[in-house]
Amino acid sequence: MTCLAVALLSSTALPVLAQTRAETLRHVTGAAINTLDPNIPGSTREAFGLSLLTYDRLLSFGKKQLDGKWVFDLDNFRGELAESYKFSPDGLKITFALRKDAKFHDGTPVTAEDVKWSLDRAVTANVLGKGQLLTGSLTSADQFKVIDAHTFEVTLPKPDKLALANLAVVYPVIFNSKLAKSKATPEDPWALAWLKENTAGSGAYIIESFKPGETTILRRNPDWNRGSAEKLASFKRIITQTIPEAATRANLVEKGDADIVIDLQATDAADLEKKGKLKVISTPQYNSITFVSFNNQMAPFDKLDVRKAIAYTLPYDDMFKAALFGRGAPLYGANWADGKAPTGAIFPIPQPLKTDLAEAKKLLTAAGFPDGFSTTFSFNVGQASTAEPMAALLKESLAKIGIKVEIQKLPDAQMSTLINEKKVPFFTEGIVAWLPSMDYFYRNFYIGPIRWNYASLNDEKITEWAQAARFEPDMAKYAALGKDLNTRHFELMPQIPLWQPSQDAVMASSIDGYVYQFHRQIDFRDLSRK
Amino acid sequence: MSQLSTTAKRAGWRFASSLPALFGVLVFTFLLMRVLPGDPAVFFASGPSAGKEEIEMIRKQMGLDKPVPEQLVRYLGDIGSGNLGRSLTTGQPVLADLKSRLPASLELTFSALLIALLTAIPLGVAAALRQGSWIDHVVRFICALGVCVPTFVSGLLLIYAFYYLLGMAPDPTGRVDIFTSQPPVVTGFLLIDFTLAGDWEGWRAAAAQLVLPAFTMALFVVAPLARITRAAMLASLGSDFVRTARSLGLPPAKVIVTYALRNALLPVLTIAGIVFSTMLGANVLVEKVFSWPGVASYALDALLASDYAPVQGFVLLMASIFVVVNLTVDVLYGIADPRVSVE
Repeated sequence: MTCLAVALLSSTALPVLAQTRAETLRHVTGAAINTLDPNIPGSTREAFGLSLLTYDRLLSFGKKQLDGKWVFDLDNFRGELAESYKFSPDGLKITFALRKDAKFHDGTPVTAEDVKWSLDRAVTANVLGKGQLLTGSLTSADQFKVIDAHTFEVTLPKPDKLALANLAVVYPVIFNSKLAKSKATPEDPWALAWLKENTAGSGAYIIESFKPGETTILRRNPDWNRGSAEKLASFKRIITQTIPEAATRANLVEKGDADIVIDLQATDAADLEKKGKLKVISTPQYNSITFVSFNNQMAPFDKLDVRKAIAYTLPYDDMFKAALFGRGAPLYGANWADGKAPTGAIFPIPQPLKTDLAEAKKLLTAAGFPDGFSTTFSFNVGQASTAEPMAALLKESLAKIGIKVEIQKLPDAQMSTLINEKKVPFFTEGIVAWLPSMDYFYRNFYIGPIRWNYASLNDEKITEWAQAARFEPDMAKYAALGKDLNTRHFELMPQIPLWQPSQDAVMASSIDGYVYQFHRQIDFRDLSRK
Repeated sequence: MSQLSTTAKRAGWRFASSLPALFGVLVFTFLLMRVLPGDPAVFFASGPSAGKEEIEMIRKQMGLDKPVPEQLVRYLGDIGSGNLGRSLTTGQPVLADLKSRLPASLELTFSALLIALLTAIPLGVAAALRQGSWIDHVVRFICALGVCVPTFVSGLLLIYAFYYLLGMAPDPTGRVDIFTSQPPVVTGFLLIDFTLAGDWEGWRAAAAQLVLPAFTMALFVVAPLARITRAAMLASLGSDFVRTARSLGLPPAKVIVTYALRNALLPVLTIAGIVFSTMLGANVLVEKVFSWPGVASYALDALLASDYAPVQGFVLLMASIFVVVNLTVDVLYGIADPRVSVE
């Protein structure tokens, strides 16, 4: 009897299970989601990815094609909670018309009050949004105004090209203000503690279970209709699972047990691509740069000729192949006819650099080091798989012009600390700009005493031009400033851009709609199964 | 009755005398974490827009803005009130993290130890009985193999063979297949919880998931257990009481099991206790390879991130477990050999 029952159960249960499997997306990743509110200091990238699913913003980025791959488009927006927006003629006021049918997960309608509370929180509370939004001139709660229940206005002190883009990143999520306020306390008026472990959003997915460091399971929000064609998200469930071992992630996706993964080792991605069973979309991260950097304030790297000598010694091609198996976009080997940058509208651009040991030796002698010198070259343990082979090649090549290099592999926390204190002379790092416009790169990575100014560059002209470019409304003038900046960057050689690594998204061949996103995570709302 | 009360008294006394050691471990770990290079606040404030302000904010949140002695006093006070701090890596209170992850580690370690004992004791006995024969050599070979292959290698090999090539094992990710619904948490041990819930399909899924990691770990500790069993068996086989038993004409099986093995078990017990404690901490690699949500991989992640609270919590937990295991071994001694419990 029981046997029969079991047999019956399993025979009826199987098709149902198969059905849910088809409507479920299983995503595996090496890292962990550690908060449900992306604004909490210490949030991981995976937490950013999650917030895009559980929360809506006013806008999100559109997409464009870059060399045949879909990537996010910084200059194109699609509405999430905003149905439309318009700028005042002087560019100082943005008026948003909000959707009237949008509801939070608990059924409360989304109003301009919620938008106001959420943006106030992003610029007032001790949250990550504060530091980000100021790059779009959004700094104070006075700039946000409720006109009526479905109209909302943002005022800018100056027309800022990145104001709108800043409203589409992961931080300015729109919270259910009534719910959040009910959980706030006098010590915690913005409900930071509660929102860290709970969501109060209107996004495409609702959290079903959340085990930090293990799994997060999401269920589709049946009321959400903000998809690309005003429709629901395609998958009913999304499972994000933390699998620390990269080889296991590769096995899982190859066996069809996982549907998508974006953080495989380059070798595994190349291998799976060769086998041809899976879809591998390899997009150069056009908003990131991996570089070799110097502390420009520290001897001997304060000498331009030393920096140049090193730039002419690096074995670029070998490094690119050894570190990334050639997966990415090189930023060397360009040809600048007149020594001037060919374009100014964008950065980074390929630099006119190639290996030339004779030139390097000449420069080193001119700098007063005919016999070379000794130094250290540092990198993060976390980046060892790519940085280690690269460092070995760099060491070997620099030895040819007399520079003796000792390789230092540092724990991530220690490397961060040393970089923050500006104590590392010579190292490799990578940077990512969520909003990859030319001036944003220069303002955030080449100016001031901040940590992200890896090269500790302090150049009057770069500072002045980058600040001017920020508010330059005329695109021709903007490009002219950029051309000067790009040229000056090459002349000063504060650091050597090497390449833009690829993001290798490996997925079941039935998965469709993948777009490379600014925060280097997957926007699951775009995906569907054929 | 008197036997029980002396055992309890002994256990109580042993426990009380280990408290100073626990306190020492606590203070030592605390200081050690602060001596390590790397500022956790800087590490965690590594978001794309994190500046000085964020770093200060995190430092304050972690209590690192205070002088070290004050931090220590606060920390001890917190521990006294059962608060182990908050992990920045997972964003959860450390106590909750450890509570949810410890059963996973214990379940894995217990299973591995059981497998190891069931393999090692017969192997050791067989090797001792046929000392110098080919059986002895085979046992020695197996032991050498188990010790010299690191767990992550044997783990990856097992995954490759049984999951990737043969497709016999379930995917090596965590304690139970992701599409199986979890039983209500009672003990945290999945095998027990599934049994209590009467969900045999779930039980099978959890057991299947446990096989590869448990074997990987067992393989690693079979050697010391088998070697000790062999040595102890040899000693006890050569002793007077075995000779007497033999000369009385008792059946060989009875002589070997009741007289020789029972006496040989004491050192095996000692080693098993030590092996258990070390396994619990040393299974980091196994937990990593099999994405096992245990305490060891948790502590390692925290250590790499200079996340103080979880590391301190983990060390405290390990020290406490060590004390409890020693206590248990002590009590078992008394049962295996009643002479031990006579004060």
